[in-house]
Amino acid sequence: MRNRGLCIVDHEPSGPIATLMRELGKLPGIGPKTAERLTHHLLAAPRSRVYALADALRAIKDSIRQCRQCCQPTENELCDICSDPRRDGSVICVVEQPRDVAALERTATYRGLYHVLHGRLAPLDNIGPEQLTIDCLVQRLRAGGVQEVIMATNPTLEGDGTALYLSSLLAPMGVRVTRLARGLPSGSGLEFANSQMLVDALEGRRSF
Amino acid sequence: MSAEKATALVLRTTDWSESSRIATLWTREFGKVRVLAKGGRRLKSNFENALDLLTLCGIVFLRKSSGGLDLLTEAQVIQRFPRLRTDLSALYAAYYVAELLADGTQDYDPHPLLFDEALTTLRELGGECGPRVARFEMVLLRELGYSPVLDRCASCGGEMHETEAGFSASANGVLCRNCRGGHRDARPLSPPAYRTLRDLAAAGDDWRGMWSVEVRTDVRQLLGQYITHLLGRRPRMLSYLGS
Repeated sequence: MRNRGLCIVDHEPSGPIATLMRELGKLPGIGPKTAERLTHHLLAAPRSRVYALADALRAIKDSIRQCRQCCQPTENELCDICSDPRRDGSVICVVEQPRDVAALERTATYRGLYHVLHGRLAPLDNIGPEQLTIDCLVQRLRAGGVQEVIMATNPTLEGDGTALYLSSLLAPMGVRVTRLARGLPSGSGLEFANSQMLVDALEGRRSF
Repeated sequence: MSAEKATALVLRTTDWSESSRIATLWTREFGKVRVLAKGGRRLKSNFENALDLLTLCGIVFLRKSSGGLDLLTEAQVIQRFPRLRTDLSALYAAYYVAELLADGTQDYDPHPLLFDEALTTLRELGGECGPRVARFEMVLLRELGYSPVLDRCASCGGEMHETEAGFSASANGVLCRNCRGGHRDARPLSPPAYRTLRDLAAAGDDWRGMWSVEVRTDVRQLLGQYITHLLGRRPRMLSYLGS
């Protein structure tokens, strides 16, 4: 029997507040409740702060492009790293994503340049060499001056496969191709390492 | 929901949300299963680094009765195949094995013999991969009930002579000279390639040994054509395989 006078209203809320909640909810790590909290926070915030956020959001799409040399996001034609004369241009470190550059830069150890592939070879997902920035890397090497290419792709099968493909492509060009070491993390104990870490550490051992 | 234990080979993974991952696993006990690994993208989780492609692992999962994704609760690495990380042709062949298992089998349809053959293939890949991959394809076809007819004409059932054999994917096997005309996709089959196909389909290790370039090319094209016909599309990794 139907309840007279009762009906289920099935419509999406509209208007600027609902739109903002919906858009914020699409961001990684933000669910509906966090989106709602952020929306109300922005509603209560001073107009200048909200406009500053909006301007920053607009700017990353309007003024950010890929560095002509290393393909990482930048405001200028060349990124800060590529345009820094103190960096060693004879070494290029190849990474999958721009966030990997940030991780390596935090170590403050590496002084060479980078190349961002924007992904890894995954033929099962239809991602081939033409979807990555491999052509750009080959052109950099052809231009000369590079002596070593460090493969810093992720230590997964696809990451290793990408490094393997690149090394077979670049080795005939006369550059030294190396791979990041892997194995035991510093400060940990052998008993807590998994078997793969130990295998990697044994294979990658070096003399004092 | 019941907890099940199995030995599994990781065929495919897809990131799901911030920290979780969906994985397609080929298990010895249950066939192909699709599982949600909550926290599977985190470095420190119950799955360690077991959810990397083509890793053999021991798993525990909760089977959903509702038809949704099963829930992976544990995964531990049993074996990796180091040759795949140092040999590009072995890696592509292994991807092809994963593609055939993921796309050619049904969920919860176990084939222990095919599971064992897949592991043997992954262990032996390296250098010249053609014969090893062809053997895997033949075992896959046999296990799934699609073995090509090789001992008689697939069309008229008549006796086959090596010198007059042809092959047709649409006829599901070899054809005699008289029947070849009735199948547009029929292609001639050289006597050595015909013998190699029969060795690949038979039990035993007669298929191992030296394959001439002509035989490798013939067998590769023929099996590729047959599997394409059965799947209804060309496998993505087929073009990556050499002869």
